[in-house]
Amino acid sequence: MIAAFVVAAATGTWPYVAAAWAVVFGGMGIYALVTVLRGRRLSKNVPPEKRRWS
Amino acid sequence: MTTETAGPLEASDSGPSSTGSRTTMILGIVTLLALGVLVLFGLILSPADENQGDAVRIMYVHVPSATLSYVGCFMTTIGSAVYLWRKSQWWDLVAYASAEVAALFTAFTLVTGMLWGRPTWGVFWVWDARLTSEAMLMLLLLGYLAVRGIAADYQVRAKRAAIVGLLLVPNVFIVRQSVQWWRTLHQKPTLTLAGAHIQGLMLFSLFTGFVAITLVFIWMVIHRFRVAWLEEQVNAEGLDVAIAERRAEGVVS
Amino acid sequence: MLHDAWLIARKDLKLEIRSRVALNQVVPFALLVLVLFAFALDPDRGLLEKATPGLYWIAVLFSGLLAMQRSFAVEAADGVTDALRLSGLAPAGIYLGKTLSVAVQLLVLEVLLGVGVAVLYGTSITGWLLLIATIVVATAGISTAGTLFGVVAAGLRVRETLLPLLLLPVLAPVLIGSTRAFEAALSGTPSEGWPWVGLMSVFAAVYVVAGIFGFGPLMEES
Repeated sequence: MIAAFVVAAATGTWPYVAAAWAVVFGGMGIYALVTVLRGRRLSKNVPPEKRRWS
Repeated sequence: MTTETAGPLEASDSGPSSTGSRTTMILGIVTLLALGVLVLFGLILSPADENQGDAVRIMYVHVPSATLSYVGCFMTTIGSAVYLWRKSQWWDLVAYASAEVAALFTAFTLVTGMLWGRPTWGVFWVWDARLTSEAMLMLLLLGYLAVRGIAADYQVRAKRAAIVGLLLVPNVFIVRQSVQWWRTLHQKPTLTLAGAHIQGLMLFSLFTGFVAITLVFIWMVIHRFRVAWLEEQVNAEGLDVAIAERRAEGVVS
Repeated sequence: MLHDAWLIARKDLKLEIRSRVALNQVVPFALLVLVLFAFALDPDRGLLEKATPGLYWIAVLFSGLLAMQRSFAVEAADGVTDALRLSGLAPAGIYLGKTLSVAVQLLVLEVLLGVGVAVLYGTSITGWLLLIATIVVATAGISTAGTLFGVVAAGLRVRETLLPLLLLPVLAPVLIGSTRAFEAALSGTPSEGWPWVGLMSVFAAVYVVAGIFGFGPLMEES
């Protein structure tokens, strides 16, 4: 365990932090974008009275 | 994340042209603000942990993601149960939407867990009880989503998916129990994710993580539910009708 | 309900005995898996004997999957599913009957594989009581879950790939439990194995209940 901490201190953990946050924020952004775009495309094919959240 | 506010702005009098509504627009803005606060506290204001160092910052997104992946599973099971009981499409689509979002958050949990493990333990993966059961959860969710993806009538698909969804939480419990015994009978669990002494600003950063990620989760489930709803409307009306409708709309405007 | 179960189980087993597919294809496949493990792991280093519990249960799961696929392929052909639905048999009875016939086939496979590992891997067998208890509850778990997910995948174009994806993660606790219990029995510490037998009993109980209540909606569909 102690060795692992030494290694961590030597190489620095910021790259891992950045990668983790990028995955989460990027993933959320891409999923949100895809979902919104799918919704827009589908909305064109559905009459307005069936979109009940309006 | 910036796209979510754009949807409702284009809403005409004949209903929104997207899955957005006034409520989700406000929710989206609040969510973006919360994510901003999370970045501020998680990456800048929070101090590094004395044991984990800066790796503790991964926890601020990892722990909420893990929690919400389980919340999503519970919602899937509840939705499936109510669907089987009442045959209500609304609950079936709640189950579907939350399963997909839960799978996304499970993927986040696994990736951030591995990225936390590498600097802290020196390896990306250990056969730790929590990691293993989260990986099994991912596989169970992928199985459920595979059933959702089958090409069959709505009734057939929904009913079969509901059986799988109903068993999701019982399975998660049994898998967790077995994996925990599996790891503890042979060796003591030496590594726990909550090893850091989280308090003060770090605790508050984790709290902002919970708030922000929960808001994202709610926003996503609502929008994914509406997409699923629209899909079923399109399927129900048949493609030809939908295309005719679209042409007619084009003529009017 | 139990009478219906008996009818279905008898019908399936009779079909299996007459067609001999299980005997001519599934059993040789199971033995083939045992031989392949010996090729993959060097048989001279004692690895096979040490890994016997795990290899044994993996072989049971994979060859069992084939038997389960067959149990529903038989029904899907020639519209037998509709005939079953119209027969007026209780869905819970159909479920229990199918489970019973799958369980009997698995038990036969397990006995043959047990002889196989004892002979081929040179594993000395101890702790009979725990071994038998483990086989009984693990078989109950595999067949109850396998039958339920088998009908979820039945009749679909993607059934051959869907069933393993649905079933194998679900059966992870059974694989862990049965392997650990076998290890405990073979290493002469059976007290470590009994909690796993309990866990697998709970698993089987959950799936019996889910199957009895879930089979009705699944049968009346389409």
